[in-house]
Amino acid sequence: MASNHSTEEQRPVRHKVEGPKKHIIGFIFSVLLTLIAFAAVAGGEINTDFIYIILIGCAILQVFVQMAFWMHMKDRGHTWAIIGILFGVFVVFTCVIMAEYWAWW
Amino acid sequence: MSAHSHTEGQLPHEPEKATLEGRNKILGFWLFLGAETVLFGTLFSAFLALRDQVLDGPPAHELFDLKLVAIATALLLTSSLTSVFATQALHQHKRKALINWLIVTVILGLGFLGLEIYEFTHYVHEGHGFTTSAFSSSFYTLVGFHGAHVAFGIVWICLLIGQLMKKGLTVVTAPKAYVAGIYWHFIDVVWVFIFTVVYLMGKVG
Repeated sequence: MASNHSTEEQRPVRHKVEGPKKHIIGFIFSVLLTLIAFAAVAGGEINTDFIYIILIGCAILQVFVQMAFWMHMKDRGHTWAIIGILFGVFVVFTCVIMAEYWAWW
Repeated sequence: MSAHSHTEGQLPHEPEKATLEGRNKILGFWLFLGAETVLFGTLFSAFLALRDQVLDGPPAHELFDLKLVAIATALLLTSSLTSVFATQALHQHKRKALINWLIVTVILGLGFLGLEIYEFTHYVHEGHGFTTSAFSSSFYTLVGFHGAHVAFGIVWICLLIGQLMKKGLTVVTAPKAYVAGIYWHFIDVVWVFIFTVVYLMGKVG
C-alpha cells in the first residue's frame, strides 16, 4: 500500500509566515462591533426591537469575524471542522426556537 | 533545503499538523467544540425562555452594571488576541514568545475570572441568589458554566506552559498549544453571545 502523502507536497519550501496584520484587523473589527453593541444600549432612547436587531446582528457578525480571522476557519483542510461546528449551531437553533416556542406561544 | 528557512532546524512548517496524531487531535477538538456549542446552546435556550421570570428578585435591567461587563469583555477580547499571537509564535517556532504570550493570556483570563467572582458576590448581596427565581438560576447556570470554562482553560494553559518549558516545542507539544488557542477563542466567542443576550438584551428589557 502506498501511503497517502496528500498533505505534504514536494514543492520547494518557501512558506510564508503569517503576519500579525490579519489578527490586528480581526481585533479592531471585534472591538468596533462590541462598541456598537454597547453604545446602542447605553445610548438608550431608541426603539427596543431595533436595538435587538442591532445587538444580534453585531454578535453574529463578530462570531464570523473571529472564526475567520482567529480560528483559521478560512484555511485549507477545515471542512470537517466547519461541518462539526455547523452541526452544533443547527442543534442550538433548534433548541432555542423550541424553548422560546414552548415558553411563549 | 534552504538553511535559513527555519530558525530551530528540525521543526517542520506548521508543526501542529506535521503528524497524523496532531491532525487527528485538531479534528477531534473541532468536533468537541461542536458538542460544546450544543451544551451552551441548550443553556442559552433555557435562559431565553426564563429570563423574565424574576419573581421577587431584582429584574435584569436593575441588576446589571454595564461598566463592569464592558471591562470584562475588553479583558477577554484582548486575551483572545494574545492567544492568537501565541499561535503565531508557534508557527514561527519561537518557543519563548509562545510561552510569554500564553502567560499574558492566562493573566488576562485571571482578571476576567476575578471580575466575574466579584460580580456574582455583588449580585448575591443584592438579593439575586441561585435559587431566587427561574431567571437567577438560568443566569448563574449559563454565565457560571462559561466562567468554569475560563477557569478550566487557565489551569490547562498553565500546565501547557510547564510542559513547553520542560519539553520544548516539538511535534508532540505543538498540537496541544494550537488546540488550547482554539479553545480560548471558543470561550471568547461564547462570551460575545453572553454579553449580547444576557447583559445587553437584559439591560434593554
